[in-house]
Amino acid sequence: MIGFTLRLLRCLGPTWLRPLIVFYIDSMRAIPVLVVVWTFFAFPILFGITMMPIVAAVGAISVHVAASLAEIVRAGIESIRQGQSWAGLALGMTQAQLLRKIILPQAIKRVLPVLATTWVALFEDTSLVSIIVVSDLAYTAMQIRSKTFRILEMLTAMAVIYWAMGYPQAKLTDWIHRGMAGRE
Amino acid sequence: MTRTSDPGTRKNADAVPRIAFKDVRKSFGTIRVLDGVSMRVNPGEVLCIIGPSGSGKSTLLKCANALEPIQGGRIVFDGATLPSRADDIRKVRQRMGMVFQSFELFPHMTALENVAVGPATVLGLDRARARDRAVALLDKVGLADKHAQYPSALSGGQQQRVAIARALAMEPEVMLFDEPASALDPETIGEVLNVMKRLADEGMTMLVVTHEMNFARRVADWVVVIDHGQIVEEGVPGQIFDAAREARTRDFLSHLEWRG
Repeated sequence: MIGFTLRLLRCLGPTWLRPLIVFYIDSMRAIPVLVVVWTFFAFPILFGITMMPIVAAVGAISVHVAASLAEIVRAGIESIRQGQSWAGLALGMTQAQLLRKIILPQAIKRVLPVLATTWVALFEDTSLVSIIVVSDLAYTAMQIRSKTFRILEMLTAMAVIYWAMGYPQAKLTDWIHRGMAGRE
Repeated sequence: MTRTSDPGTRKNADAVPRIAFKDVRKSFGTIRVLDGVSMRVNPGEVLCIIGPSGSGKSTLLKCANALEPIQGGRIVFDGATLPSRADDIRKVRQRMGMVFQSFELFPHMTALENVAVGPATVLGLDRARARDRAVALLDKVGLADKHAQYPSALSGGQQQRVAIARALAMEPEVMLFDEPASALDPETIGEVLNVMKRLADEGMTMLVVTHEMNFARRVADWVVVIDHGQIVEEGVPGQIFDAAREARTRDFLSHLEWRG
């Protein structure tokens, strides 16, 4: 949702805002999500604020993934040929109507496979938040591991659970995409 | 250097022109595309623009609809210079229908939705009325049985007829056609030109950029020859095709015959 808004602001927002958004997107692309998570958690501490780990984790991942999403949506929008805009404008549409009715439905459909991949990657990235002590799956697995020393079992169990949760998501997005492809 | 037939022979010559181009200039970077074009489209007139590829014909049409900005001169629609405010431009565009060489139907909508989207979105018609209008127009262009088809399932000629219906759905006062038959298979060209002919017979004001010389000869009231962004010659079809005064016009027409 943030990525989407960013994308729209980048092409339609006030002129002064656009370079800032470009800077933000490019920065986020240059930094690994792990660092962002760490920054979100550590920086407030310097200023004497303790972020709840879960808030820091969700915030960091949102901020990071939004940048990729913005770029993906941009690629989708730019892949729609100019004639489509001309056709919409020639009917007398506003930029907003053009985007909503003509450009975005086509753009989203084109980038859906990439969006889906990003979504699944996002799900996997959640394992990184264990470094700031959010009890996600990876963190819990590591906890149990250090108590029981049953390394192989825990890692296998973790892998299986990630797979069991991630695989259906990947399949689901494939399925959505096929459903949409049928209608054209 | 431009010569014109006696304006008295021209349809509605003394009425306010629907569209008037006054010394219109337009460049893409350093390339001059329109180099001082002045011409008028009278109400109810079918005006065909012909000329070699890359001569600026299509650009002229896009400028008329403010899809391309101009760098000099004026374009006057129904007595008023094309406005620069986005809201005002949209008002003008609603009164002009445009048909593109490559159809530009919206691929994620059915034929019916393509035609209904303009009235529903831009004119704010309720769904039922927009739909009724779309049904009637698809019937009119001979596609009563294709309402639910997506563009990808239609032939080129059918797609272009949907595109014409889409433009007509806004109930425009002028129709702009940008080489409407150039992307079509030979066997479907006729069905599109027939729809255009019928539109012309109904009195629609039409500005048509075309390579279909037979259409220009039979349907046009007025023909304008453009080359290198300038008007070479204009006149009634009989003059242009049978008694061209300018060597460049004759040259262009003889090249067409060469193509067979």
